[in-house]
Amino acid sequence: MLSSELQASGLSTPSAKAALTSKTYDVDDFAAVQELYHANGWTDGLPIVPPTKAAVEACLDWALMPPDQLVAIEPVREQPITAEKLAINAVMAGCLPLHFPVVATAWQAMMKPEFLLHGVTSSTGGCAVLVIINGPVRTEIGANGTFNALANSDRATAVIGRALRLALINLLDVRAGGIDRSTLGHPGKFSYCLAEDEEGTGWQPLSLVRGIPDGTSAVTVMAAMAPRQIMNEWTTDPREILETFAAEMRANQLNYSIYGGNYVIVVPKQLREPIERAGWSKRDIAEFLFERARVRRADWAGVGKQSIVRDRASRIHPALSSPDDLLVVAAGGPAGGFGAVIAPWMGSKTRAVTAAIGACVDCEPPKAGACSGEAASGSPTRTSAKINEEPRP
Amino acid sequence: MAERQGVPAIAVMTERFVSAAELMSRALGMPAYGFVVIGHPISSAPADQLEAFAKVTIRQARRLLLSE
Amino acid sequence: MTFRVLDPTNEKRDAGGRPAPRPASLRGATVGIISNGKEGTKEYFAHVARFLRDDLGVGAIVLRTKSNFSAPADAHIVDEIRRWQAVVTGVGD
Repeated sequence: MLSSELQASGLSTPSAKAALTSKTYDVDDFAAVQELYHANGWTDGLPIVPPTKAAVEACLDWALMPPDQLVAIEPVREQPITAEKLAINAVMAGCLPLHFPVVATAWQAMMKPEFLLHGVTSSTGGCAVLVIINGPVRTEIGANGTFNALANSDRATAVIGRALRLALINLLDVRAGGIDRSTLGHPGKFSYCLAEDEEGTGWQPLSLVRGIPDGTSAVTVMAAMAPRQIMNEWTTDPREILETFAAEMRANQLNYSIYGGNYVIVVPKQLREPIERAGWSKRDIAEFLFERARVRRADWAGVGKQSIVRDRASRIHPALSSPDDLLVVAAGGPAGGFGAVIAPWMGSKTRAVTAAIGACVDCEPPKAGACSGEAASGSPTRTSAKINEEPRP
Repeated sequence: MAERQGVPAIAVMTERFVSAAELMSRALGMPAYGFVVIGHPISSAPADQLEAFAKVTIRQARRLLLSE
Repeated sequence: MTFRVLDPTNEKRDAGGRPAPRPASLRGATVGIISNGKEGTKEYFAHVARFLRDDLGVGAIVLRTKSNFSAPADAHIVDEIRRWQAVVTGVGD
């Protein structure tokens, strides 16, 4: 609808009416913009896209959000986060308007209490925010779950992941040596976003497994460590393939953190095919790994941690407290028996959160961490309305 | 949250955490929030070291918790 | 080519709180210790409790351990705070 038609009909075009309220800086040229933002600690070290009024308004218009819409209230410091501020950081990251609803939904999911944002972003453990995208939105934004799925696969996943880190830096002061006490961190802190290769598998999409209706676009966020790559090109037996994943999970338990929580496994086509041919679903995989991925506390002695075994040597620690804790993602290029295990930041202190992507036009102001990005009203979203989804076989 | 309830509070940090703590208190709007700083790390310190840290804590606590 | 660019930070800050008034002495008072339960804190706080009693004349010590060392204190612990005359929390390490 044109603005004039909307106005005539009595409906408002929120973003056309409300002005942006952020402070502005007049800067001579592109290079000077970089120096201003770097000098103020407003970047991740890489160049940023200058966030102009026009670019920010374009994001807000696309997502149907007025600039002063409260996107979230960060739970610990009770900092309000507006759509305008989130959009500024998204533009800086390189997001186009069509990426912004994904960024906003992921951000809201990170604010949920069970994500434990403060612990996750300040700890010496140094995790990053992993984002997994499902649904028709992937096609719209060109998010590619095949080659390089965990790296620079496409523009959309690169900039969406980056937007979240810039927002953490600028809106929540999460800076190295400041609130961010990460000893090492990992490269995912630049951007850690992938799309599931839904078209390349008969398995249910991750979002459907996690309770989002089929065909609805969604994001899953998780406080995650760097990927641990495994390789098994020497068998087609599902149990043997998955045993390699289990072994990597056990190694993580011993070498990094023994406590169970959400684990992600990324399974590429070459490894998926024999597993799917043998009739295994994601649930079957989860049940298998629930059994196989566990260690005895005494095993810590073999990796230099004998001092904390104490009198509980025989205690068994499972990597997953139930099969539901496992997130299986179908992604990766068509060739290569390389899978990945992605461990949680610290056991079950933080939980993965899945949220549907919707345009929140009539949201109530959120309580701490809650905004109905879940589109519970069922209104079609800007992103999914145009897509004709093929029926799932 | 203790200070907001009218109860004086001090937070113990190891020396490598000081700037994070200062930032948190600024973020929470209370720059004068009292910190006790002890040596780092605590997780692997031997018993006599922990006692020494506790002595240091009490010295700093006097200054931060009492009006004298 | 000039640019008019926007501030990416959260320019609003909460209104500051004021610190609680300090007593002249903690003799006979109840002091709460909120521990994050990390490695080493048990022994460390045991020493702190002893010095609070011996050196500052504190009357009673209440020890509470957070259920999640990376989250703020549990609500039931926060509720108890008003019954104490001072709080020691830690250890950020």
